[in-house]
Amino acid sequence: MTGPADTSRLDGFVGLSALLTGFAPVQLLGTGMAAAYLAVLDAVLPEDIVGDLMSAYRQLPRGPERERAAEAEILGDPRLGPVARNLIVLWYCGAWTQLPAAWRAAFGASPLDTSRVVSAAAYQAGLQWLAAGAHAAGANPQGYGAWAIGPKSAGSSGLERGGA
Amino acid sequence: MTKDAAFDTVIVGAGVAGALIAKHLTDAGLTVLVLEAGPGTSRGLDDYTRHLERFHAASAKSPESPWPPAVGAPQPDTTALRDNDGYFVQRGPNPYGSSYTRLWGGSTLHWLGVSLRMLPEDFRMRSRHGVGRDWPLDYTALAPYYGRAEREIGVSADVADQSYLGVTFPEGYDYPMRRVPPSYADRVLAAAVDGMPVTLGDEEIAIRVRSYPAARNSIPRDGYRPAGAVDIRTDDGPSVPPRQGERCQGNTSCTPICPVQAKYHAGKTLAQADRRFLTVRVQAVASRILVDPASGAVRGIEYKRYDDPATAAHTTRIATGRTYILAAHAVENAKLMLASGLEGPRGQVGRTLMDHPALYAWGLAPLDIGAYRGPQSTSGIEDLRGGAFRARHAAFRFDVGNDGWRASTGAPDTAVSDAVMARNLFGPALRAQLGATLPRHVRLSLAVEQLPDPDNRVSIDPACLDPLGNPRPVIDYRIDDYTLAGMAAASDVARAVFRRAGVTDCTDPSKGSWFPSVFYRGREFRYHGMGHFAGTHAMGADPAGSVIDADQRAWEHRNLFLVGSGSFPTMGTSNPTLTLAALALRTADRLVEELAR
Repeated sequence: MTGPADTSRLDGFVGLSALLTGFAPVQLLGTGMAAAYLAVLDAVLPEDIVGDLMSAYRQLPRGPERERAAEAEILGDPRLGPVARNLIVLWYCGAWTQLPAAWRAAFGASPLDTSRVVSAAAYQAGLQWLAAGAHAAGANPQGYGAWAIGPKSAGSSGLERGGA
Repeated sequence: MTKDAAFDTVIVGAGVAGALIAKHLTDAGLTVLVLEAGPGTSRGLDDYTRHLERFHAASAKSPESPWPPAVGAPQPDTTALRDNDGYFVQRGPNPYGSSYTRLWGGSTLHWLGVSLRMLPEDFRMRSRHGVGRDWPLDYTALAPYYGRAEREIGVSADVADQSYLGVTFPEGYDYPMRRVPPSYADRVLAAAVDGMPVTLGDEEIAIRVRSYPAARNSIPRDGYRPAGAVDIRTDDGPSVPPRQGERCQGNTSCTPICPVQAKYHAGKTLAQADRRFLTVRVQAVASRILVDPASGAVRGIEYKRYDDPATAAHTTRIATGRTYILAAHAVENAKLMLASGLEGPRGQVGRTLMDHPALYAWGLAPLDIGAYRGPQSTSGIEDLRGGAFRARHAAFRFDVGNDGWRASTGAPDTAVSDAVMARNLFGPALRAQLGATLPRHVRLSLAVEQLPDPDNRVSIDPACLDPLGNPRPVIDYRIDDYTLAGMAAASDVARAVFRRAGVTDCTDPSKGSWFPSVFYRGREFRYHGMGHFAGTHAMGADPAGSVIDADQRAWEHRNLFLVGSGSFPTMGTSNPTLTLAALALRTADRLVEELAR
């Protein structure tokens, strides 16, 4: 069961993720992975770090200053920055990367902090494939002959779709 | 030890060669026992899907990642090759960079599906180019079997693309399915490169980007029915889901696993065999060939049967038949012979091990070419597979990738990691940077011919055993100057191709996935294996220079056949599966003639 507090926490997490990844909240929610990724953070990191990351996000100014502030307050922060970068890779690749040794020494090492693909579903949902205009290798294929058609940027060039 | 009831034929190995022979023998009403070392978890669709999920969740998406070995049937692993702590005992000087899979379906479970015929000149390397050795049969003798193999494994291609360098087809022949549509990236590269002259020695050769024959289901010709997914259930017989896998969907994952089974694997052939005459025993590791010392005839095959793939507990049994076929893999066939004290004429078993050591070249196209889509590759550059230059250095072929830099650098993951961790990009700038570069990733594989060298070999050492007590393969391997000079030439051509196409060359082996180095005239090449093991029980016209005859029958054991790419006297540049399939069908014909008498 998710209560209003959980929903608002997840909303915050998706908002932060949107800021970090460059994908809209609707696209992130569409992957079906948001709750699972928040759970990864909760499992791997001490609770105060997740809380501080969310709180830093909530305090960012709106408007044109927002991105620069995120760079300074989150990505540039020695404690939050590596976590935020890991979160970006998590969304793009479906994989958690073990935090740098210096970070682990300074802020706490967890036995769950190991480099790994989070799940089969996470791999398939990786944003990197969307960014490339492609699909995860071994999943979500585009259909017979779709590869013969040029990418969007090249305009329509559909020679040989459906056979030579 | 328990003895199994006698069969007409006992086959060791449920891979492509064994499956094709099993199907043809059972079609003729002959009884066949197939002993497969690995588990049978690729037989049912549910199990196959578990292999797929394993791949999705794997961190290192190596060719073996969906196909874990059983304790009793260990196999080489790409990752372990780096540290030389895997199944192979590598003695160098160069690491042998290839792997294979011991499972029902064999390595066709993770092959790419490239199904080129060998060139006529490939069969006559000694007569034509003064290097290597001649085959005991030629292209003309094998051509009808190539045609049959193309139907059996389901090859998609247009004859119009495939008649080059002396390859001919009978009047009216065409492949059972139309060619897999070349990718958009292929067409962009072709527009830039086709007709480009390449100079090798004093020859000028015009190259082009050419669709290659692929064992991936496409649009059938003339009522041919593509073979789709396999779903054999032990209790209620075969039950194949309707139409699944009858057409390639472009999963960009031929290696290591085709999610829909649109790509051929040997299980499809086994599923077509007449079940009344076929017995397949999985988790049954052949351990010794029992031979009558007086006549040399094989009397049985000892094998170790395990119930649990996670342990080494097993029982030992003996299988008997009228004829015996080793179809276990070039390395496993040699290993089994040697473990049985059978070294072949002049100790040739296990020798002349070959591969196609291959280089990657990768770059950034000037425009979006839609990388990371479609079958892993659909075209190649084939014009440098033959020519007078082969008297001096190796021939080679290029595979044009559709999967970006995945194989060469581990992109897109590594590209993301680099952008985020090293360049500190995030948000729209990150997305834009990836969107502007990933779809422009171009990769060529440069697969180089290797000649038979008796010192390149598989042997065994009683001190190196696997958990079942069977020997692990000990490998001596060296890449000689003939191949190194071919690598140098191939590398130069790749650079010229990139220049011509306006592709920014990003080839930098230090940034690539790990591969071993070789050096030639001050140049360093990082190579990997193509999985094209060959030559360990080569065929020949007489026992002085070979282990088997042109029918793949052992010179010293007249009821024993050794099949697969281990039989190849030389490799040429074609991926070996189609040729070993054609040879298997030819051997099956001989066996049916003989056993049905």
